[in-house]
Amino acid sequence: MNGTSRSRIGMLVMMILAIALIVAACDSGESVDTGETTTTAASGGETTTTAGEGGEDTTTTAAAAPEGGGILIAAQGAEPDRLDPHLTSAYASFQVLENVYDTLVQPGPDLSMEPALAESWEISDDNLTWTFTLRSDVVWHNGRAFTADDVVYSYDRIMDPDFGANNAFRFASIEEVTAVDATTVAIQLSRPTPNLLVNIGAFKGMAIVPREIVEDGTIDTNPVGTGPFRFVSSSPDQGIVLERNPDYWRASEGLPYLDGVTFIQIPDPTVKLTNLRSGEVDWVDTVPPQQLAALEGDSSVVVQRVPGGDYHYFALNQNREPFNDVRVRQAIATAINREEIAEAAQFGAATANQTAIPAGTFWSYDYAPFTASDTAAATALLEEAGVSDLTIEFLVTSDFPETVTQAQVIAAQLDAIGVGVEIRDVDFSTWLDAQGGGDFDAFMLSWIGNIDPDDFYYAQHHSTGGFNFQGYNSPEVDQLLDAARVETDQNARKALYDQAATLIVDEASYTYLYNPENINAWGPQVTGYEVRGDNAIRFVETQLQR
Amino acid sequence: MTGYVLRRIGQMVLALLGVSIIVFALIHLVPGDPVRTALGTRFDQEVYEALRARAGLDQPIVVQYFTWLGNAVTGDLGVSFRSGVPVTTLLLQRLPATITLAFAALFVALVVAIPLGIVSAIRSGSRLDYAATATSQVAVSVPDFWAGIMYILLFSLVLSWLPPSGYVSFFEDPLEWARHLALPALTVGLISGSIIFRFVRSSVLEALNQDYTRTARAKGLTERQVIWRHVMPNAWIPIVTVVGLQLGFLLSGVIVVEVIFAWPGLGRLALLSVQDRDFTVLQGAVLLIAFMFLLINLVVDIVYGWLDPRVRYD
Amino acid sequence: MTSGDEGLARGAQASDPSHDAGAPIAEHRSRTHATVETVLRNRLAVAGLVILAVLVLAAIIGPWVIPYEINEIDIANRLTGPSTDHWFGTDELGRDVFSRVVVGARVSLVVGFVAVGIALILGVPIGLISGFYGGATDSTLMRFMDILFSLPAILLAIAILAVLGPGIVNAMIAIGIVYTPIFARITRGSVLTIRQSVFVRAAESLGATNNRILRTHILPNVMAPIIVQTSLSLAFAILAEAALSFLGLGVQPPEPAWGRMLAEGRSFFEQAPWMAIFPGLAIVLTVMAFNFVGDGLRDALDPQQRSVIESRGVG
Repeated sequence: MNGTSRSRIGMLVMMILAIALIVAACDSGESVDTGETTTTAASGGETTTTAGEGGEDTTTTAAAAPEGGGILIAAQGAEPDRLDPHLTSAYASFQVLENVYDTLVQPGPDLSMEPALAESWEISDDNLTWTFTLRSDVVWHNGRAFTADDVVYSYDRIMDPDFGANNAFRFASIEEVTAVDATTVAIQLSRPTPNLLVNIGAFKGMAIVPREIVEDGTIDTNPVGTGPFRFVSSSPDQGIVLERNPDYWRASEGLPYLDGVTFIQIPDPTVKLTNLRSGEVDWVDTVPPQQLAALEGDSSVVVQRVPGGDYHYFALNQNREPFNDVRVRQAIATAINREEIAEAAQFGAATANQTAIPAGTFWSYDYAPFTASDTAAATALLEEAGVSDLTIEFLVTSDFPETVTQAQVIAAQLDAIGVGVEIRDVDFSTWLDAQGGGDFDAFMLSWIGNIDPDDFYYAQHHSTGGFNFQGYNSPEVDQLLDAARVETDQNARKALYDQAATLIVDEASYTYLYNPENINAWGPQVTGYEVRGDNAIRFVETQLQR
Repeated sequence: MTGYVLRRIGQMVLALLGVSIIVFALIHLVPGDPVRTALGTRFDQEVYEALRARAGLDQPIVVQYFTWLGNAVTGDLGVSFRSGVPVTTLLLQRLPATITLAFAALFVALVVAIPLGIVSAIRSGSRLDYAATATSQVAVSVPDFWAGIMYILLFSLVLSWLPPSGYVSFFEDPLEWARHLALPALTVGLISGSIIFRFVRSSVLEALNQDYTRTARAKGLTERQVIWRHVMPNAWIPIVTVVGLQLGFLLSGVIVVEVIFAWPGLGRLALLSVQDRDFTVLQGAVLLIAFMFLLINLVVDIVYGWLDPRVRYD
Repeated sequence: MTSGDEGLARGAQASDPSHDAGAPIAEHRSRTHATVETVLRNRLAVAGLVILAVLVLAAIIGPWVIPYEINEIDIANRLTGPSTDHWFGTDELGRDVFSRVVVGARVSLVVGFVAVGIALILGVPIGLISGFYGGATDSTLMRFMDILFSLPAILLAIAILAVLGPGIVNAMIAIGIVYTPIFARITRGSVLTIRQSVFVRAAESLGATNNRILRTHILPNVMAPIIVQTSLSLAFAILAEAALSFLGLGVQPPEPAWGRMLAEGRSFFEQAPWMAIFPGLAIVLTVMAFNFVGDGLRDALDPQQRSVIESRGVG
């Protein structure tokens, strides 16, 4: 037995090694491009070949590419869920889609709406018909010319109640979209919509998509847009590979400069930052705020911070006792200390705010009725309401870890007025389910990417608002928000929103906490990239200097 | 033998059916559903219902299960709700990375454990034995994600020797493949290696104390001959068992390590699909993992009998 | 055999318990004594016991002796390194890491003991019944255990926690369920061996009831591998809790649990390594202590036992 067993051992070892080799050999496909080889080739003015989907090879002549080309490796913290812009709600997907698709209009550097696929637009005297003139030089990534029919098709798709597009609610005031001719689109409204441009262009959730990729079912796997970069492939090991669109409608300006962008996904924030510092990636979508101080003296990393339109808040369930009593909500709103919460969670990269819209924009409203940590006033309010022995169950989620930190700080702050906090930390799916089902005393999160005040207030605080999970019901606020929606005079419109905001803050429909800064970081080789107030990730004017 | 294997395969199919029922039941008991999760905070009742109806989620659970099962039998595991991509495609994309990491970790484990285990047993009580045993004790006590982060900090950030995360295919660039594989393979390999080491050591030690070993020594064989002809052949059998079990765990259970190293494996896919309630993907991933686990168990049992002809399959 | 004979045999059995039970029980008692001696001779096992004693003490009296209130937030003094004021430094909210590590012993030990307790309560009876009765009962139960065992441990725990909702009690239940198959398998394996032994056959031939045979003959004699597995499983359970906490499940904040502290500390590793190092060390020490004791027990009780023991699934 001994002799035979030994030879069998040898065979076994050989087998294991053989399997290991076969496995290694089996995994075909390309690597995550870590920069070095491909980039050198590309910037050396040679021809780079990139394997396209389905084995087709698309060839880009790098000689035509301007200075500053190369392939940028962008690391994102979350995985894009799907690439159909009308169905996804994931920010990670929009980071990619921002560079592939276009909207009729888009937010400019100061977030005012500027032309994109539409060159210009006119509004009828009754404010009910908007006529957009489209660019005539736009070509889809598949070579077909872009026309008004594409706009009509895309908007009809979003508005189709059986389809279930995420942003259908933004088209609520649109009655009909028609193609007047190949380069003219008319939008017929049921009521004046002063924020129509924001509604159709705030981000790529309202992107114009070509009919053919919807009909052949490839929109999620092989998106075709009109944007600066063409989609090449997506796989868990290579990430999402985009290449330069030589026929981009701003090609005459030499845009885009980069030969391509590859998005890779690195879930751990520390590991993601380590990749940036070691030069494995060129750009990262976030920096943990606690690292900001340490990164200031780090020459391998450029960090840019800009005030953003996002806001963090919590909301008490007004369908539950005793949170239906406005005094209880006010007591909590004045017992907390927003500066301390912002500092604890964001390490100085945030500004405390008692309203939603950050300072420094046209729509911001300086209103701060609550004194921080006013325990005397808070206790008095609770006594008036006849509430004692109160414990609040705070619904938070580790998927947004700052909510867990903030809840712990709020727990300590409310302890001073004898209010207990029980933290319920669940995954985001459960969080959404509990929020939707009204199963909470308080929930805490943030809203991101809002531009128009209607985005900030209507769905959240109107009694019929789709996101009004806290059960706020104020006829006065409803009236103000309804009036502001159709008010075409900018200043009158702002006055209405200021009045609404006063009530929303006073009655603590939401308890606003702070506006965080938008932070991206990149290596010193990256130029021409700017962090935007709406957190859109645009690489169209970005260059690499290696 | 053939009968035995066929019977085992039959049991495997039943077990996989059981797995699918458990996973299906669990995921439907979980609060939250893929549609709500996909909609995120911008929730709209009408959109929600339209999407549910389109995905067939408004059907009774039992109907959904049998629809799924019917399709699965024909090889169609459905489409991911989250990404709109067929589940089979997603699984095939992720499988190579998982298998690569599992075998690389096993390779690390065996390279460490077998020589060290044999030497430790032969020189039982020596300083080397103590050092190796103590190290293995510490290694199995360290949480793997903690070890992984330590390696990243040391080898990537401080020393800049190895990339901190990611995956490169072998054919693309063998050197980069190895460099990216090194840290995750080390992280899980050393833990597995410590477990295997303790097995090798105790199996060899036990065989050294058997009568046949004493007889062999008494016959005047050299120590080397005693070890290789009489001790090792008897020590292999339990070692094969534990190695098989470890391989099963490596193929199924390195989720947290995959998260840390951004490793595009099945574990991370399964974790994401739990988080997003993407149950078609979860079903597919768990079935594939369970299938590999059961298959390895079967192979181990067959190898077991092959190594030790006294074992009968009945 | 007529029913009358059977009744008689049972009667005889009941009237004279020493007849069959004497030998193995006596053997069991003297073995217990020998076990304690062997374990105490093992230096590592003694070290493990000492560490565990300190941990249990910390868990019991910790809340009364720690220098700071565990949830006291002090943003001005956050992320400060170890000092005479804060021996293990402070965390991102300015809380005292030493106090939290001491109190965290309670969570880890409770999670460990209760989770393994659940696995024992579920797994041992399943294994006993399966091994003793055999046949369809055996194959049904063991197939079910095989199914549970073939699911990735951490994923199963995550899924169970997703159903039950996160929290310390649910984490214990989830970990308990995950480790049930191991106990069932070990118990069944031992029962199969013991079942063939002379004294069980003798008891059977004398007509002892199944229940009685299980209780007086089988259970005492399968205890050894179960005890060893219990000790080692405690180590795994603490690691499992840490992994679940790392993923944001498990113990709810601000309750100090080592796994959660380590997960939080991970984001601050460069600025404040002490946040992750000390709870990490606490985990390593505790797990090591259980492993030492488990190994000591195995050497003493059951040197042959190997198959499923030590098969730690890596998280």
